[in-house]
Amino acid sequence: MTSISAKLDDISTGAGGADLSGAQVSRLGSCWTLYLLTLRQHLHGRRWIALAVLFMLPAGLAVVIQSTRARAPDTFLDFLLSWILIPQALLPLIALLYASGIIQDEQEDQTITYLLIRPLPKWLLYIVKMIATWTTTVVLVVLLTVLTYAAIYIRSDVPVADVAARCFKTAAIQSLAVVTYCSIFGLLGLLTKRSLIVGILYTVVVEGLFANLPLSVRMSTVIYYTRIMAYRTLSFGVTWPNGDQNDVAAEAWFLDVASDPQLKEHPRLLSCVLVLSVISVVCTVIAAALCSQREFHVKTPEKD
Amino acid sequence: MTPIVTFQDVSKWYGNVIGINKLTVDIGPGVTGLLGPNGAGKSTLLQLATGQLYPSQGAVRVLGQHVWNHADLNRRIGLCPEQDAFYEWMTGWDFVFTCARLTGLSRRAARSAAERTISSVGMEPHQNRAIGGYSKGMRQRIKMAQALVHDPEVLFLDEPLTGTDPLARRELMDIITRIGNEGKSVLVSSHVLYEVQALTSNIVLLNRGRLVAHGNVRQIRDLIDKHPHHIKIECDGFRQLAARMVGWDDVEGVRVIAKDRALMVETHDPDAFYGRLPSLSLEDGLAIKSVYSDDDNLEAVFKYLVEL
Repeated sequence: MTSISAKLDDISTGAGGADLSGAQVSRLGSCWTLYLLTLRQHLHGRRWIALAVLFMLPAGLAVVIQSTRARAPDTFLDFLLSWILIPQALLPLIALLYASGIIQDEQEDQTITYLLIRPLPKWLLYIVKMIATWTTTVVLVVLLTVLTYAAIYIRSDVPVADVAARCFKTAAIQSLAVVTYCSIFGLLGLLTKRSLIVGILYTVVVEGLFANLPLSVRMSTVIYYTRIMAYRTLSFGVTWPNGDQNDVAAEAWFLDVASDPQLKEHPRLLSCVLVLSVISVVCTVIAAALCSQREFHVKTPEKD
Repeated sequence: MTPIVTFQDVSKWYGNVIGINKLTVDIGPGVTGLLGPNGAGKSTLLQLATGQLYPSQGAVRVLGQHVWNHADLNRRIGLCPEQDAFYEWMTGWDFVFTCARLTGLSRRAARSAAERTISSVGMEPHQNRAIGGYSKGMRQRIKMAQALVHDPEVLFLDEPLTGTDPLARRELMDIITRIGNEGKSVLVSSHVLYEVQALTSNIVLLNRGRLVAHGNVRQIRDLIDKHPHHIKIECDGFRQLAARMVGWDDVEGVRVIAKDRALMVETHDPDAFYGRLPSLSLEDGLAIKSVYSDDDNLEAVFKYLVEL
């Protein structure tokens, strides 16, 4: 007890105590710590089990398909895995797993108190945690893309430089898509407690159904802009073993390249980038504003 | 004396549930005990005071400033929350260091503050273990360390002694007392009265969201003296004793508890009553075995006041 009391003297009298004046106090330092804390939180928990399965799925499928006797054309497999499976299912799922719980997870774990009692405004808490979530998901998407491309093209005769360039473009487009998904699902996490269910419904109905209708309603989906960016930067022409050739993306995505080969009726590349960026920023700003006005209960009044 | 914490006509509703009901209270410097049974509104009060909740009505000020959405004020206050929640995968040192950094301390200052604070709560030997493996007492102590790490002027402690063993409780109580003695303001909540009684004589009593009493235990005790005390007296000649007592002016009532061979006496003037007891025993030869009043401890004061 004596030692504790003696040490308390130091704290109370400020001898060597935490000096909160001047340069020692830094909001930037607080933000950086919160950013790192959020990244570390992403590396813990059960999400990794789900992620490991998700990560291995496209690469595993590629290995299985490529090992069969009737080997699929590389571009077709690339389209199937990198441009159907990943953006349609995996990107929204990865984003949903991480972004919907930005605040909810902290609230459910009751650790949010430790953040709310720090000198960081709630809107800034949200934005920093969202930036950390973007970082995590973008890194995951890049890894996922590289892994998938490696599995698809490992036995291919396509030059490595071409594969690398294609992989880079794919990763860039999908990173933008996952950032947008994160922003949407982050906002969703503040609007409903059932964000996982609502997020899955959104993915199925909006990004799954609406995006695959040859109507203008598809312009309200993230995946539409992702596809247009992909189509404008990558080639999806497939030559089949019997010599037939077709544009798998144009057919699957209802792009009328026969009458509109330049896709003039569709947004340009820069417009797509801007639309997704604006959606991300707007969703994040709305969510941050909601956050700043919201109370976060960590226990019910009945338990008080 | 300038109040440290001010609640001015504050109410807080959770839908139809009232957390705090028209509470007006000024809490001054030093250690103040926040007392009340479960559901009294203690945690709601602390969450309002630390800006986690917005008052449905009224104004909450700490150090003269409104607390809602006033993040900078958090540099000057510390909170040890009630919930037993942590980043379980962190070590104790990591947790306190991270909290210091979140408060805005530079890396060097945070390291120094974390080391010193962890040492002050006696957690040095366990600081490199994951919090997930800590005992309840260790968890309370490391939670206390995060509240202290940025050297706050005002400290809010929500049931800090809950679940701790006697030794840890004694150490935590010493820490709280010492912090108060060194000029910091501490508002410590508890539903265990003897714990608070050992920490401070200055208390705020809450029940069902309402302020029941505020002030020195002695002042609150004066309130209770205006009302009947209940004194249980065990005596073999309990019926004879009852007959004697009903004639006393200061006795409001006498109830016979035959199975215990005892009486329950109600009196407005406990001091006069107690003063008469020895002579009663000597003169009448009534062998009084025991005299016990539940009203003599803070528990009874509390029980009485919340039932008003």
